Amino acid sequence: MTWGVRDLTVDYGAARALDGVTVAAPAGEVTVVVGGDGAGKSTLLRVLAGIPVPHRGEVSRPDPRRIAFVPTGSGTIQDLTVAENLDFVARAYRLRHWRERADRLLERTDLASFRDRLGRELSGGMRQKLGVIMGMLPSPDLIVLDEPTTGVDPVSRSEVWRLLAAAAGEQAALLVASTYLDEAERASTVVVLHRGRVLLSGTPAQVSSSLAGSIVDVDRPSDPSLAWPRGARWREWRPGGDPGGVRPDLEDVVIAASLAVEEGPS
Amino acid sequence: MTALEARSLTRRFGRFTAVDAVDLRVDRGEIVGLLGANGAGKTTLMRMVLGLLEPTSGSVALFGSPPSRATRLRIGYLPQNLGLYRDLTVAENLRFAAGVYGVTPAEAPPGTAATLVGDLSLGMQRRVAFAVALQHSPDLLVLDEPTSGVAPLARARLWERIRAAAGDGAAVLVSTHAMDEARQTDRLVLMHLGRVVGTGTEHEVVGNASAVVVRARRWADTFAALEAAEIPASLSGDALRVAGADADGVAAVLADAGIDARVETVPATLEEAMVLAGSRS
Amino acid sequence: MLAMILKEFRQVRRDKRTLAMMIMLPIMLLIVFGYAARFDIPEIRTAVLGPAADQAARALQEPFDVVEIDPSATAETAETLLRDGDAVVAIVTGEDPTVYVDGTELFTAQSALRRAGALPDDVAVEILFNPDLSTSAVMVPALIGLVLLAMGTVVTSLGVVRERQDGTLEQLAVMPLRPRDVIAGKIAPYFLVGLVDLAVITIVGLWLFDVPFRGSVLAFAAGVFLFLFAVLGIGVLISTLSRTQGEAIQLAIMTLLPQVLLSGMIFPLYSMPPGIRWIAYLLPLTYFTMIARGIFLKATPLDALAFPYLALVVLAVVVFGIAVLRFRRDLAPARSRPVEEVSM
Repeated sequence: MTWGVRDLTVDYGAARALDGVTVAAPAGEVTVVVGGDGAGKSTLLRVLAGIPVPHRGEVSRPDPRRIAFVPTGSGTIQDLTVAENLDFVARAYRLRHWRERADRLLERTDLASFRDRLGRELSGGMRQKLGVIMGMLPSPDLIVLDEPTTGVDPVSRSEVWRLLAAAAGEQAALLVASTYLDEAERASTVVVLHRGRVLLSGTPAQVSSSLAGSIVDVDRPSDPSLAWPRGARWREWRPGGDPGGVRPDLEDVVIAASLAVEEGPS
Repeated sequence: MTALEARSLTRRFGRFTAVDAVDLRVDRGEIVGLLGANGAGKTTLMRMVLGLLEPTSGSVALFGSPPSRATRLRIGYLPQNLGLYRDLTVAENLRFAAGVYGVTPAEAPPGTAATLVGDLSLGMQRRVAFAVALQHSPDLLVLDEPTSGVAPLARARLWERIRAAAGDGAAVLVSTHAMDEARQTDRLVLMHLGRVVGTGTEHEVVGNASAVVVRARRWADTFAALEAAEIPASLSGDALRVAGADADGVAAVLADAGIDARVETVPATLEEAMVLAGSRS
Repeated sequence: MLAMILKEFRQVRRDKRTLAMMIMLPIMLLIVFGYAARFDIPEIRTAVLGPAADQAARALQEPFDVVEIDPSATAETAETLLRDGDAVVAIVTGEDPTVYVDGTELFTAQSALRRAGALPDDVAVEILFNPDLSTSAVMVPALIGLVLLAMGTVVTSLGVVRERQDGTLEQLAVMPLRPRDVIAGKIAPYFLVGLVDLAVITIVGLWLFDVPFRGSVLAFAAGVFLFLFAVLGIGVLISTLSRTQGEAIQLAIMTLLPQVLLSGMIFPLYSMPPGIRWIAYLLPLTYFTMIARGIFLKATPLDALAFPYLALVVLAVVVFGIAVLRFRRDLAPARSRPVEEVSM
C-alpha cells in the first residue's frame, strides 16, 4: 500500500506553503523529505498525518488510528515519566496488550533502564527515541516524523534509525523530514523540497546522478556564486559541464539544484 | 599560533568525572570539530573553555593566559539558541554586543536593521546571530551546533562565513552532532565518557573501523534474523548495514536462518565509527 | 478521555509550585483571616499627663493600657507622644482636660471615641492629624508602598527570568560583563519607573484625595529609596528561583499577598496576636507603611522613625545580598554546579 499526496497545494493566507507537490510513501520503505525552513516540509507532513490543514489536491492516508505523527521536539510530555508517556499513548489509541511491545521497543534503546525518568529530565536524544517509540507503539500503517534527529547525538541517532528500520520491517510507511543529507542517502526515496515545490525526487542514486553539468573540487572557486566550501577546499558547479568533475554526492546535487532555482539563503 | 590550549583538563562533580584529562589545542586559522554522544563531556569541556566553569584540575590557556575578562573580549560565542534578544531589533542586538565588546556596530543584513529578531525567519535569525558573534573580530570562535536544522544551501553559505573567519586568523571550535558539519572541519576531536578517544581528519578518526553491508531480496526478514541474533542492523536504502561486525559471522547467522544474502565488508562511516568507539568501553 | 484525565493529574501532581499555591494559599488566607483580621482593639496605648495623672491612670480600665504617666507634662508632650507613635491616646488632666486621639489609627480612634462618650462634658476630645478620620488619608500612603511593591517585585522578576527563558543568560555569562553590571542594568529601568510611579501616585493621592503631606520630603525620599532596594532585591531573588515567567509570577503573588494582609496596611498590627505579628516584622511593606503614614500625616521626625528605617536597611542589605549571590551563580557558576548534559 502506498500513501501520499498528489498535486498538493496549501496556502496560508497570501503565502503558498506547498505548490502542486506529489510525494509517495510506500509501505515498508523510508521516504526522506529534505528542505530548509520555509520549504514546506512541516506542512507536507502535517497534511499527510491528518492534521486539519486547508488544502487542494489528493491525499491518501490510512484511518487516523493507524497513523502516528512524531513532531519536532518529539511530542513527549515533559511532566510525565517514560512509562507514563507510553501509558498515555496506549490509552489514547485504545491499545490492548501493549506492554510487551513497549518493553521490546524500549529494549532496543538505552531507555529501558530509565522508565521512571521524567520527560523533561531526558536528554534530547532520549526524548526523540521516546517520541519514536510512542509513535510506533500502536503499530501504525503510516508514521510521519518531523526532523526526529535534528540536534541529536550520533549514538542516539543511530538508535532512532534502528527503530525506524524495525518499523519499516513491520511494513509501516515512513515519511521522515530531515536536514541531514547523510540520512537522506540511506532512504529508499529522497524528495527535495524548496520553497514549496519538489526540486528533486527519486532514489539517492537517481537524484545524485540527475544533475545537469558537473561538480569540480577546487582550491579556489572561479565563480563564488556557484561554489561552496567542503572542508578546506571548495566545490563548484559548472552548469556547462567539466571534464575534471568529481562524482557528485547528494549534498552537491541538492546545493547545485537549489542554486539553479535561486540564489540566497532561505 | 595557539589560541586555545587545554592541558589535562579535568572536571569532577562529586564522584562523577565529566571530563577526564583532556588535551585540546586549537590554532589560529584552523577549524576543529568536537564530536561526542551525550554524556561524553562535550558541553562541560566547552563551558570550561568559555570560562563558565572552573576545572577541577588541569589548565586552560586562552592566547597564552588563563581565562579572564580580558580573554573574554577576544572570544566570540554562538550558542545553540542563537543568544539573540527576540524583542529587540537586529540593529539593537548588534549595538548591545558592540557596546559590551567596545567596537563599532556592524551593518545589519540589508533591510533587517529595524526588524524585531522575533519576527525574522529562522534562517535570517541565524545570519544575524553570526553577525553578532563575529562583530568584534574574535580571535577564538566557539560555535555550538551552528547549522543545526539548516537546509543544505543555507548551511553551505554559513560555512563560508566560518571559513572566512578562520581565513582572517580566528581559531574556530565547533561542537556538533551532525556528520555533515563534521565534514567541514579541518580536524576532529572525538570524545566519549569524558575522554578523547580519537583525533584527526575524518579518515583518520574512522581508521580501519568497518561495517558489513548485507544485500538480500527481502530485507525485512534479514533484519528480523539479525535482530534475533542480537546483531544491530540499520537500513540503508534497501540494504542493511552492521557496524563493526565480522562478515563471516554475519553470513553464518543468515545462513542458519535460511536467508540468501550477499555480505560484504566496507569502511565504516564516521557515525558508525563513533557508535563503535562508544560501545567499546 | 480517561487518558487525558490521568495525564493531567500526573502533570499537576508534579507541578509543585502550582500545588503549593492551590493548597497553601487558602490555608494562609484562613489563618490570616482567623487571627490577623481583627477590627476590635485589644489594647489602647494611653499616656496620662497633667496634675491629676495618677488618679486618672488608676481610674482607667481595659482596653486602655497606660504606658506613660507624667504629671508634669503638657498638651505639647501629648502631641509629641502621638506624633512619634509612642501612644495612641493621650489624656491631659488639669485645667482644660483634653483627650487627644491619634486620628491615623482609625480603629483605635473610633474605639476610644466611643468610650469617651462616657466622659463628663467638660472634657474635650481632640482628634489629631486626621480629624475627619478619613480612610483615604490613611490608606493612600500605604497604597503607594503597595504599588511600588507589586510593580517592583513582579516586573523585576519577569525581566531577569525572561533572560533565562530566552536563553540569553548564557550569552551574558560569556561576555566580558561583571555580574554586578548585569544586575545594575537589569534593575535600573525599574528603579526609574518606580520613581515615576511614585511621583504620579503621590501627586494624584494628594490632589484627588486631599491627603496631606506634612513631613520632610527628604526623609520620605530616603524611605522610598530603601524600600525600592528591598523590593527590587526580592524581585531579583524570585528570578533566581524561577525557570519560567509563569513560575516567577506565582512566587511574586505568594510574597505579595501576605504583605497586603499582614503589613498593617489594612488590619492594625497591634490587633494581631504575637504568633502572627512577628511575620509582619519581616515584611518591607510593614516598615514603609509606618514611614509613609508618619511622614504624610504626622510629620514624624527621623529619629522617631529610626526603627522602621533601620529595619528597611537590614532587609534591603540581606535580600539584595542573597539575590546577588544567587545571581552570580547563574552568570558564572564557577565551582559547584552540576551540568545536565541535555543537548537538544
